[in-house]
Amino acid sequence: MKNILEIHDLNVSVNGEEILHKINLEVPEGEVHAVFGPNGSGKTSLMMTIMGFSNYKITSGKIIFEGNDITDLGLTERARLGIAVALQRPPTIKGVRLRQVLDYAYSQNPEIEKELQELIKANNLEKFFERDINDGLSGGEIRRAELLQLLATRPKFAMLDEPDSGVDIEALELIGEMAKRLFSIDICHPADRRSGLIITHTGQILDSVYADKAHVMLEGTIEGCGNAQIVLDTICDAGYSQCLTCIKRKAHQS
Amino acid sequence: MTETTWSPSGDFKIKDFVVDSGTFQPSLIAPNQFSKVDAQELAEVGVFFDSDERSGTFVVQDHHTLCAQSNVEGVEVLPIAEALKKYDWLAEKYYWKLIDPDTNKITRWCADQKIPQGYFIRVKAGEKVEYPYQAALYTANANIAQAIHNIVIIEDDAELTLITGCATHHEITSGVHMAVSEQFIGKRARLTNTMVHSWGPKLSVRPHSATVVEEDGVFESNYVSLRPAADIRSAPKTWLNGDRASASYYSVILGSKGSQILSGGEVYLNGEDTSAELAHRAICTGGQITQTGILTGSNRCRAHIDCSGMILDPGKKGFIESTPGVRSQHPEAMMSHEASIGKIAPEQVEYLQSRGIEEREAISMIIRGFLNADIEGLGEELDARIDEIAELSGHGEPD
Repeated sequence: MKNILEIHDLNVSVNGEEILHKINLEVPEGEVHAVFGPNGSGKTSLMMTIMGFSNYKITSGKIIFEGNDITDLGLTERARLGIAVALQRPPTIKGVRLRQVLDYAYSQNPEIEKELQELIKANNLEKFFERDINDGLSGGEIRRAELLQLLATRPKFAMLDEPDSGVDIEALELIGEMAKRLFSIDICHPADRRSGLIITHTGQILDSVYADKAHVMLEGTIEGCGNAQIVLDTICDAGYSQCLTCIKRKAHQS
Repeated sequence: MTETTWSPSGDFKIKDFVVDSGTFQPSLIAPNQFSKVDAQELAEVGVFFDSDERSGTFVVQDHHTLCAQSNVEGVEVLPIAEALKKYDWLAEKYYWKLIDPDTNKITRWCADQKIPQGYFIRVKAGEKVEYPYQAALYTANANIAQAIHNIVIIEDDAELTLITGCATHHEITSGVHMAVSEQFIGKRARLTNTMVHSWGPKLSVRPHSATVVEEDGVFESNYVSLRPAADIRSAPKTWLNGDRASASYYSVILGSKGSQILSGGEVYLNGEDTSAELAHRAICTGGQITQTGILTGSNRCRAHIDCSGMILDPGKKGFIESTPGVRSQHPEAMMSHEASIGKIAPEQVEYLQSRGIEEREAISMIIRGFLNADIEGLGEELDARIDEIAELSGHGEPD
């Protein structure tokens, strides 16, 4: 299977300080990978770098998307190629309504507006439309507003930054449903999926979205990968250090 | 080093400009008799000669009133000089009753005009005018010192939206515009006054505006300065004398290189349960902008003043200075103020870019949002001007 995303030996700095070191990552088309790691290990920085936020300076290495080198492309160009991220802490923009961003997305893909109507109604999402972007929203509401934007832009590669953190059970159910919809190309054929990355601490979102693989990040680098459920179980049982030992042993044996 | 703020007193000699004697009055003409060029200039400030959705049109060009027309029976419109001849009560009760002619040399100059120019608009009791009335104060020739005196009377239970467009012909760069406006809003009456300015780069603009609002009356004032003059000094005064009277001011100022703009306002909340809101929005792409104003509560009332500025490119001398003020003279006066000045946050621009929106369009969206924030009920005319300012600012001001 072709890789939709490849990252080769990527080093990234923020304000002159290197925060990601020698990152290597491959995500095949149609696969969703989870990213685990303790706070401050570089998970969010990795997503921000893939998206192209300007604070994250690539000092060496390459990002390949659908076979093309996008290392030097700007944010808008990457978004238009089909990369999108649902941020954990998006900025508030006074005076700019969520509807304006959705209208922009609909103008690019007019048929999506119809497709999303049912989901919007069922989840009572209209109430966010006329509000300033992310202004006064709870954690769960922010995640739903972010996911709605991703659903409307219909990306080829979707990244979710901790969609299940700080939300109550009811909201988690709605977020899970939206995430599931996001990664489904055709609801009747669950095996056909959009690709992406999901950062999660608790793994709750993985009850709704099947992760093909998990990567573990520690201190700014990807230390290993493996079966998502086994990696998660090991982290929960014995913490990151044990998980890492386990992954490394497995890598050594193979 | 940045220059200190100038004081709002006239610093030009009126007699350096073409003052005209104001001794003759040409015959009035209909709106469709204006030239295409003039019509285009005035359309920019919300005055449309070919629109069916206006209740009438008034035009002063340079030193002369050229058009004073009303399509609504309950709306009486006359050139102010004619109205003073027709109604003795106008001078007795209204003319120069809110503003002292000796306030400064500008008001004195206006008071000394032999044939004063400007509009007298009277909306009769109970008349709720469907379409806006439009007035144009237009400078078509170079170096004109235009002096205006307007009176608006909204009688009890009447309502009017007034669009006043002030503009210069696009080839005219210098001149002086001096205006005195006295407005009277009766019981349960409403006046929405949207003023749109588009001046030449070396114009000096000195409006003196005063409004009194009676019981349950409503005054809404929107001010948009699209292409700022060399200097504008505006500090309208409002007295909320009747119980439950309310006033809201909203100003949008684009300061460009070389301009000096003072946008102020004073509201006196004298009646019980009166309310006032004053909101200034300014964008600095050079030039010096001072946002100020004071709300004075002398009864049970609510008042809020909010000054917000966005610095895009101040250049060497540009700034925004905000000093919102409140003064309470009553224990049940609830008064508040806020001020903030900032730049466009890069993370906001990038967030919109991450949704596929071009950087320039993202900046325009944010500016438009900043100017519109928390302000409801803006007319289409004002929205159109705001779009232009956002577009202009997003693309940067040419030197």
